[in-house]
Amino acid sequence: MAKKEKTFPVKLYALLAFFAVAALLAVIVTVTFQTKYTGYHPEEVARVYADTVVQTGDGYNAYKNALPSVNDKYGDFIRKQYIYPLVYREAGYRPGDKTDELTGFNDASYMGEKSKTDDGSLQGQVIDTMYPYYVELIANGWDDYDTIFKNYFAKLVEVRKEVFGDDYMTDEIMFAALEGNVKTYGKSLTGTEDVFDENSGEQLEFKSIGAYQTAYGEEYKFTTVVLSENEIALDAYKAGLDTDRLAVYGISADEITAVKSFTVGVQTEDGATVTQATVVVVKIGSTWYVDNTVTDTAPLYNFYK
Amino acid sequence: MKKYMKKSEIWTFGIGLFGVALMTGWMPDYTATFFADFAFKGKGFDTVTMGNMISTVFLVAGFVGAICELVIGYLVDNTRTKFGKVKPWVGFGVVPLAIVAMLVFVAPNTNSQTVAIIWMFVIYSLYTAFSCAVESPANCFGSLCSPNPAERSSAISIASFLRSVGQSGGMVVVLVVGLIMKAVMGEQQYKNAEGQGLDLVISTAVCALGLVLFVMIFFANNKENVPFTQEKVSLKDAVKVVFTNKNLLMVSLTKLTGFGRGVYGTVSLYIAIYLLGSKDLKLALLLPMGIGTAVGTLLVNLVLKKFNTKQTFILFCVYGASALGILFLVSRGIGFNDGLIIPFLILNFFCGLQHGNTNVTPNIMIADCVDEIEYKTGKRQDGLAYAGYGLFSKIASALTKGLGPWLLYTWSGYMVSTDANVAYAAQTDGTLNKMLMIYTIIPAVFVILQGVPILFYDMVGEKKEMITKALAERRAEVQQTAADGAEQA
Repeated sequence: MAKKEKTFPVKLYALLAFFAVAALLAVIVTVTFQTKYTGYHPEEVARVYADTVVQTGDGYNAYKNALPSVNDKYGDFIRKQYIYPLVYREAGYRPGDKTDELTGFNDASYMGEKSKTDDGSLQGQVIDTMYPYYVELIANGWDDYDTIFKNYFAKLVEVRKEVFGDDYMTDEIMFAALEGNVKTYGKSLTGTEDVFDENSGEQLEFKSIGAYQTAYGEEYKFTTVVLSENEIALDAYKAGLDTDRLAVYGISADEITAVKSFTVGVQTEDGATVTQATVVVVKIGSTWYVDNTVTDTAPLYNFYK
Repeated sequence: MKKYMKKSEIWTFGIGLFGVALMTGWMPDYTATFFADFAFKGKGFDTVTMGNMISTVFLVAGFVGAICELVIGYLVDNTRTKFGKVKPWVGFGVVPLAIVAMLVFVAPNTNSQTVAIIWMFVIYSLYTAFSCAVESPANCFGSLCSPNPAERSSAISIASFLRSVGQSGGMVVVLVVGLIMKAVMGEQQYKNAEGQGLDLVISTAVCALGLVLFVMIFFANNKENVPFTQEKVSLKDAVKVVFTNKNLLMVSLTKLTGFGRGVYGTVSLYIAIYLLGSKDLKLALLLPMGIGTAVGTLLVNLVLKKFNTKQTFILFCVYGASALGILFLVSRGIGFNDGLIIPFLILNFFCGLQHGNTNVTPNIMIADCVDEIEYKTGKRQDGLAYAGYGLFSKIASALTKGLGPWLLYTWSGYMVSTDANVAYAAQTDGTLNKMLMIYTIIPAVFVILQGVPILFYDMVGEKKEMITKALAERRAEVQQTAADGAEQA
């Protein structure tokens, strides 16, 4: 009898290859996610928070890893708590209300001629006018964000009306102004370089010396490092929480399952620590967040003066 | 003429190409984004140096790809296995390809800029080599799926359609992955993870898994129905084939003569902003064009039932140039205002139809050229024929990438905004008209030019029938001889 020729088991190979690759990809993705995603690493959450503040004086964006961002996108938190109450002020908006059926100052009917025809120049004028006021508001940092947002946006409504001559106001206008000021403030610390357009060669930005450069030299470089972890008892920490403030974030003390405190230092290239701050982080679900209600970032703002 | 493929094989061939395109369509753009924005975020590397190096990574990868096209084509033509000559490359190459593609998105945790740059060069060149080893043979399976030209054409049409869908599949994957991550992590934590490039990591894994799944379906279900010839092909003869077979050269030259067809992509954002009034309309511009391309791919199959490949190609070139010309005239007639949006988007769909031709017809023509080469030389060189076409495609793509920005930034007189608060500066009427020309008239000229080499293409009609018949007889003889030999043994 003729010996049966061995054939390659194509279907079995296809199945095995698929499952083997699926398993390998799952391992790679899991390890990468665990390693890279800062939310799983309390030390890194604390360090990044301090780093965001110190590199460009940007306490505004640092909140993306803090309690206001647990249940809402940070931008939505700001909309609900500070922007919509102004945009829908005549409709009696309260945080959490739906805006679909409300008429606010973002309605096109509030647009005057200047709003309709502005090519960005007048909006630029508004942003420039707001800048000194922004600097004044954040003189002691961003820890009291409630006061900063309330006062900044209220002033913005006034300034825009003066420049445009109408009451039109949207969340985009408010964010553009605030973020424009945050960016300019950052540049005032870090300094700027000459920037030329790649194609036309036209100069887009001019060199300037920032406050950090004045204090630490033009080639300064700050590195943030966790200097120590401090003991903190969960029960005692929970007992001291401001429950009303947690309610604004849509969380309760019971959801917090762990707490840690880190001292984060800011170092220059020679390893000297120029300032430090204690950052408290809490675990909610599987993610760590900065507890901004007890963290004091003031030392990260004015250390260079 | 006898049919060689099961119905399911026609579809699983397309599913295989869909899987390959899902991965290869995803990689270049998102790799560039990953390298530039996420791979070494927060490491403090010099951004200008990194930007220049990333451009060089892709330039080097282009050279690696061009060399690999020819080398893989040569190796494919010298492969003889029970599965055939193409299937082993696709079926066994897909596993390392999936893994290497995944590793492109796993950057090393290094503080050395030099290490980071070396890693980018090595990993992306490796990916380019592996993708060539799978994609190039997968594309040339079309010429081996059936000796029956009509059946082969149908299979290539359907596969080309699914491949063009697959090329945009990554955009859907990243969208769905984003939605799932939002639901699982919450809005802000998703934004934070997105800021670390983790959505790209997961999306790449999904595309890589899709690649393996769809290619394995193809691998398990399809077989090569055109027997390979036994003669070994020397490297010298192999390269000669690409440049000396007139018909094959003409098909490949369409890529070079039509290289400027793609310059419209450079200005699509500016067309949306300046001519239609909103940069958000860029997606709206691409969508009708993409749908038009997909519909065009199916339409070509119908046209091929009435006309031969040469006539079909020229017909679509004339149509494409006319559609672009009409788009230009209508836009000038209406003017650059809100009223232009709807007619522009509708006409954009009709302009997209022509791309179906360039996706399908050349692939069918190359399969016919492979038959002609086998008829003349006795050697079947599917791998090299497709590799040659791939080589010309890569050169054309490099030329397009050079011409597009030159036209926009130099020729049109485009003004860059110098006001920090104004994203896009106002442009003169002359510049706006030139932008419209870059989107319409200039591609139209290249669409016509790409049809010129096909005027000299003659693997159609009686010649094609005669060659198909002669090859069928030759293969029957070989089979009979083999059967007689087996009987005597």
